[in-house]
Amino acid sequence: MSKLGFAVSIAFTYFTIIYLTGLGGLFSERSGIVNIGLEGLMIIGTVTGSFGAYYFGAKLGWGVPAGPIMGLLLGLACGAAFASIHALATVTFKIDHIVSGVVINLVAVGLARFLSTVFFGQATQSDPGQPHLHVISIPLLSSIPAFGTAFQGLSPFVLFPFLIAFPVWWVLNRTRWGLRLRSAGENPEATRSLGVAVAPLRWEGVLISGAFAGLSGAFLSVEIVNNWREGQTLGLGFIALAALILSNWNPIRLMGAAFLFGFAQAIPLALRDWPIIRSIPEQFVNMTPYVVTIVVLAGFIGRVRPPAAAGKAYEGTTT
Amino acid sequence: MGENGRAGRGSAPPFVVLEGITKRFPGVVANDDVSLELRPGEVHALIGENGAGKSTLMRILYGMYPSDSGRITIHGEEVRIHSPRDAIARGIGMVHQHFVLVDPFTVAENVILGDEGGPILQPEESERKVKALAVTYGFQIDPHSTVEDLSVGEEQRVEILKALYRGVEILILDEPTAVLTPSETSDLFENLRRLRADGKSIVFISHKLDEVLEIADRITVLRRGVVVGETTPAETSKAKLAEMMVGRPVLFRLEKPAVEIGEPVLRLEGLTGGRLDGLSLEVRAGEIVGIAGVEGNGQRDLADLVMGLRPLDAGRIVLDGEDLASRSTAEIRNAGVGFVPEDRHEQGLVLPMTLWENLVLGRQDDPPFVKHGVLSLRTIKDLARTLVRRFDVRARSIDVTAGALSGGNQQKLILARELETDPKLLLAAQPTRGLDVGAIEFVWSQILAQKAAGRGVLLISAELDEIYALSDRILTLYEGTITGEYPPSAPAEEVGRGMLGDVAVRDVG
Amino acid sequence: MAITATAPPAAGSGVKTRPEWLESAIGQGLALLLALVIALGLGSIIILLYGENPLDVYGSILRASTTDKDGPAWVLSSATPLIFSALAVSVCFKGGLFNIGVEGQYLVAMATAAWAALHLGGILPGPLLMWGVLLFGVLGGMAYAAIPGALKVKTGAHEVVTTIMMNGIAISLVAWALNHPLRYTNAPAGQNVDLRTNIFPANAKVPDLGHLFGYGPAPRLSWLFPLAVLAAAIVWFVVKRMRLGYEARAVGASAGSAQAGGIGIGSVQMKLFLVSGALAGLVGMQQILVNNASTNTGGYLPQNYEATLGFTGIAVAFLGQNNPIGIVFAAIFWASLSRGESILPLETNMPREFVIILQGILIMSVVITYTLARRRLERRQTGRVLAEEEIVVTQTTPAEVEGTTT
Repeated sequence: MSKLGFAVSIAFTYFTIIYLTGLGGLFSERSGIVNIGLEGLMIIGTVTGSFGAYYFGAKLGWGVPAGPIMGLLLGLACGAAFASIHALATVTFKIDHIVSGVVINLVAVGLARFLSTVFFGQATQSDPGQPHLHVISIPLLSSIPAFGTAFQGLSPFVLFPFLIAFPVWWVLNRTRWGLRLRSAGENPEATRSLGVAVAPLRWEGVLISGAFAGLSGAFLSVEIVNNWREGQTLGLGFIALAALILSNWNPIRLMGAAFLFGFAQAIPLALRDWPIIRSIPEQFVNMTPYVVTIVVLAGFIGRVRPPAAAGKAYEGTTT
Repeated sequence: MGENGRAGRGSAPPFVVLEGITKRFPGVVANDDVSLELRPGEVHALIGENGAGKSTLMRILYGMYPSDSGRITIHGEEVRIHSPRDAIARGIGMVHQHFVLVDPFTVAENVILGDEGGPILQPEESERKVKALAVTYGFQIDPHSTVEDLSVGEEQRVEILKALYRGVEILILDEPTAVLTPSETSDLFENLRRLRADGKSIVFISHKLDEVLEIADRITVLRRGVVVGETTPAETSKAKLAEMMVGRPVLFRLEKPAVEIGEPVLRLEGLTGGRLDGLSLEVRAGEIVGIAGVEGNGQRDLADLVMGLRPLDAGRIVLDGEDLASRSTAEIRNAGVGFVPEDRHEQGLVLPMTLWENLVLGRQDDPPFVKHGVLSLRTIKDLARTLVRRFDVRARSIDVTAGALSGGNQQKLILARELETDPKLLLAAQPTRGLDVGAIEFVWSQILAQKAAGRGVLLISAELDEIYALSDRILTLYEGTITGEYPPSAPAEEVGRGMLGDVAVRDVG
Repeated sequence: MAITATAPPAAGSGVKTRPEWLESAIGQGLALLLALVIALGLGSIIILLYGENPLDVYGSILRASTTDKDGPAWVLSSATPLIFSALAVSVCFKGGLFNIGVEGQYLVAMATAAWAALHLGGILPGPLLMWGVLLFGVLGGMAYAAIPGALKVKTGAHEVVTTIMMNGIAISLVAWALNHPLRYTNAPAGQNVDLRTNIFPANAKVPDLGHLFGYGPAPRLSWLFPLAVLAAAIVWFVVKRMRLGYEARAVGASAGSAQAGGIGIGSVQMKLFLVSGALAGLVGMQQILVNNASTNTGGYLPQNYEATLGFTGIAVAFLGQNNPIGIVFAAIFWASLSRGESILPLETNMPREFVIILQGILIMSVVITYTLARRRLERRQTGRVLAEEEIVVTQTTPAEVEGTTT
C-alpha cells in the first residue's frame, strides 16, 4: 500500500506540472489561439527557472525560500516573454497556429542550450543540487497508515493548483475580461462588431499560456529535479495538451485529467515491482504515459467541443 | 441632395446626412459620390443588386471602414466615425446579414458583451435588464436561453436588442429577411413599426422589392456604387424599381422550356440522417423539383446525404434504378450526379488551386486525364480552356487561382465542371447565393437548359423567387421531412405555411 | 436566351503582365532574401553583445565548410539524412498533416534495418543485402507511421500529439530491442562493449561516393546522397504531376471541396503517412550503414545513436518551404551552418550554440516572411482579376422584355 502511496505522491508532482501547463493552453485556446508550443515554453521555464533559483538562492545568497521562488517567477516571466513570439506570429502575422507552435518547440531547444552556456557554462545541464523549497507533509492525510506516504515529502508548490483552480474558473466565467476572452475564441466577428478589440485579448491569452507553462517548467527543474537538464520535460507539454482536450477546456475538469496523466507517469517510476507490471519488460513499462495519452486521444476526440474559432485567423474589421 | 420637391412624411430635421461618400477597393469603386439622408420616425430602404454598394455604404456609416472622401453629419455636426464602438456611441446600430452571435453564450451575455457595466459580471441583473428592454418593444425572448438553441427569428431579435440596449436612434438592418419565413417577416415588420413609432430611424437594406414596398417610407436605389434614384412606395412600382436597380428592364421569370416529363431519375425513400427524418421525394427526367425551406431544416444534410458526404442512418437513394445508398461520393458522381454546393468555398472549389486544377476535380481518376497515375496536363488544360470559354468564366488565364475570381465566376466554374459530365441529375443548393443579377440569370438559364435536355434537377433554395422561377413542382422542407407539395401557381402564403410545418397531413409525391 | 456579354481581354490595362509561376517565384525569392537579412541582422545584434565583429563570425561559419579540403563532402553527407527527413515531413504537410513523428519512425526503421542486416545475409548475397536492408528500413518506417495514420483516419486523433507520443514509445522500443532480440552476441572476449547490435556483414554497407570526387573516406559521403536527391526529384514529380499529389494538395487546401469532388480523404491521408514513413525510414541509414561501417564491416546500430534528426528535418522542411528542391538546398545550407558550430569557439568568442540560435531565428523569419509574401501575392492576383472583369451587357431578346411580373 505504501508503494501505491508513493506512486500517488509522484502523481501529485506530475499532476502539478501537467495541470499548470494545461491551464496555460486553456487560456490561449479559449481566446482562439491554438498553442502546441507548450513543450517549448516549458523548456524555457526549466532553464530560466533553474538559473533563477541558483542565482538568487546561491549566488546572491538569498537562500530558501526566496531563491527558489525567484526561480519560479523567472521561469514564469521568461515563459511569457518567449510566448510573445507565438502571439506575434499568430495574432499579428496570422501564421498558421500549428506551424508557429512547431517552430516555438524547435527554437526553444536550441535557445535553452544557448542560455545554458550563458548561465551555467555548459550546454546540456546545470550543476545539480540547486536550492529548492523545503518539502512538507500535509497534516492529517500524511498520517494515514501505509497510504500516508502519498502526502509526505511534497514540495509546497503542489498546493498551488488547488488554490488557483476556482479563481481561474471565476475569472473566466464571472468577469468582464473572461467573457470577452471567451467570445474572442468563439466568435471574433461578434466581439469586434461590438467594439471589443480581439487582438489584445488573444495576446493576453497567449502570454498567460507562456506564463503558466514557464512556471510549470520552472517547478520541474527547481523543485522536482533540483537542476536543469536537457530533455527533462519528457513530452509533458504534449501530454498537457491531451489532458486539456480530455477536460473539454474546463479548468475544473482539467484537474481530473491532469491527475490521470500524472498517475500514468508514476507507474513506471513507482510501481515497477507490482505483480503484473513486474512481468512486463522494463522498456515497455516506460511507455505507459505515452500509450495512455494516445488511448485517451483516440477515444475521446469526437466527444469534445473546442472553442469555435480556435485555430482560424481572424482577419480584422475590413471583412 | 435631391430632397427638393419630394412629398413625404418626416419633415423633422434629418438625424444623419451622408454627403459625397466615395470608397474604393482593389479593382472596384464600391461607392461613388453617394449622398443620403436619414430621418427620425422613418423606414428608409436602401436597395440595389449584389455589389451595388449598399452594404459598403452602411458599413462606412457604422465605422467599419473609412471612406475615401465625403462627409457624415449627425444632428448637423460633422463627425468622423472610427469604429463600430464609435458609431454606437453616436447612436448608430447595425444588424448584419450574417448574425454575429456567440453560440454558447446566453442571450443576455450576447447583449451585454462590450458594455458589461463593470469588471465583474452580474448575470441576474443583466438578464433582468434585457428582459425589461425586450418587453418595452414587444419582443418575445428569454434572456437566459442559450443562443445555440434559438430559432433564426429569435436570433435576429437578439441582434436588434443588442443595438437597442445601447440606446441607438438609428438602426441599420442588412438583408434582414433573407433568412426568415413569411410569418417571421411579418413579425419583424410589426417590431419595426413599433420602433418607428418610437422615433427611431431605420435603414432597411434589401433586394426584395415586395417587402421594400410594404415597409418603407422612402427608397434609395443604388447601382454600381451610384445613387440612381430616390422615391417613395406611392410613386413607384416593383418593375420600375427593378429597372433602376439593374439599368434595364428585368425579367422576373425566364421562359421555362416545355419538356415532356419522363421517368423518375432520382427517388429518395425514408431518408434519415442528421436533421432528416424520413424524407421521401422523386425527381423525374426533364423536371425541376424545388425544395423550399428556411435554412436549418435539413437542407445541408439532404445535399450531404445524397452526395454520400455523410453516412445514412436509414433510407434509400435510387438513381435511375440503381441503389446508391452507402456508396462513396466518387461512385455517386460517376453514376451521374452533378453537385453545385451551397458553400462554394467549403464544398465546391479548392481556392488556392488554379482554374484547370479545379476543373478536373472529380475526374482525376478518369482515363483521358490520367495515365498510370500521372496527370496528362495537356489534356486537362485543353478541357479547361474549352470550359472557361463556353461558360464565359472571366479570368486572364487558366493558371489563375480560383480564389481570385469573383463569386459569379466561381459559380460558373463549378457549373462548368459539374455539367461537363452531362449528369442525369443535377443537385443545386443555393446556387445563386451572393451573385449579382447577371450571374443569377446565367445560372438559371443553365439549370433550365438541363431541364430542356431531359435531365432532372433537384433545386434547394431559401429564395422563394428562385424556387418559383425555376420549379415544376415545389416541395417544402420542415424539420427534416417534406411537409407539402405545391404547383408553381400556388400563392406564397400557402408555401410559407408548408415551410413552417403548419399543414395538415398531405400526400407527398 | 442568356445574357451575352463581351469582355475585352485585360481591359486595356496596357501593362505587361508576367505569368503566374514567375510572379510566384520572384515573390518567394524576395521573401527568402528578406528572411535572410532579418536573421543575419538579429544575429548580428547578439554577436555585437559578445564583442565580436559580425562579418568575422559569419565569415568563420562560411569558411568552415570550405577550408578543409573535405569540407564540402562533410556538408553533403550531413545533409543526406536531413533531406530524407525534411521530405518526409513535407509530404504529409502537403496534405495538411503534421508528421512530427519522423523522429520515432526512423528509430524503428533503424531497428528493422538492423534486423535485416543481421538475419538476411544468408538469403541475400552480395549487393542484394544492402538493398534488402534499405528496404526493411523503409518498411519499418512505413509500418510505424501507419499507426498514427490509422488513428487519424479512424478516430480523428490529432497527429501532432499522437506522433510525438509515438516518438517516446519508439525510444523505449529500440531500447528494448537493443537489450533483447538485437543485442550483441559476439563481442570481442574480455572487452567492455557499449550496448549495440552485432556488426553487420560488409556487404550491407552503402559504398562510399566521395573518393570518386577526390575526397577522403572521413566525411562519409556515400551513394545515399544521390539517393536523397533522387528521392527529392521523385517527391517533386509525385506532388506536381501525379494523381496522388494532386489529391493530397486538394485535401490539404480544402478537405471539404476535395471530399465533395469524390476524393477519399481517409485513403489519401493514409497514403501520405505511408509515403512519409517510407522516407523517414531512410533517415537513419547514413548512421548505421555508412558512418558506423568500416573497410570490412557493414555497420551497426549503437545505443547512442544520433537522435533529433527528425526534428531537424522539420526545421529544414520549413526552411525549404516544403518544396523538394528548396529542401535539398535548405538541407545543404543547414548542414554547412552546423559545420560552423565546431569552428566558432576556436576562432571567436562565440559559443557554438550561437549557430543554433541563428538557425532558430532563420526558421522563424522564413516562415513569417514567406506567409506574408504569399498572402500579398494572392491579394494582388485577386485585385487584378477583378479589375479585368468588365461585364458589358449587350442585349436581351425582345421576348424576354415582355417577361412578366410575379
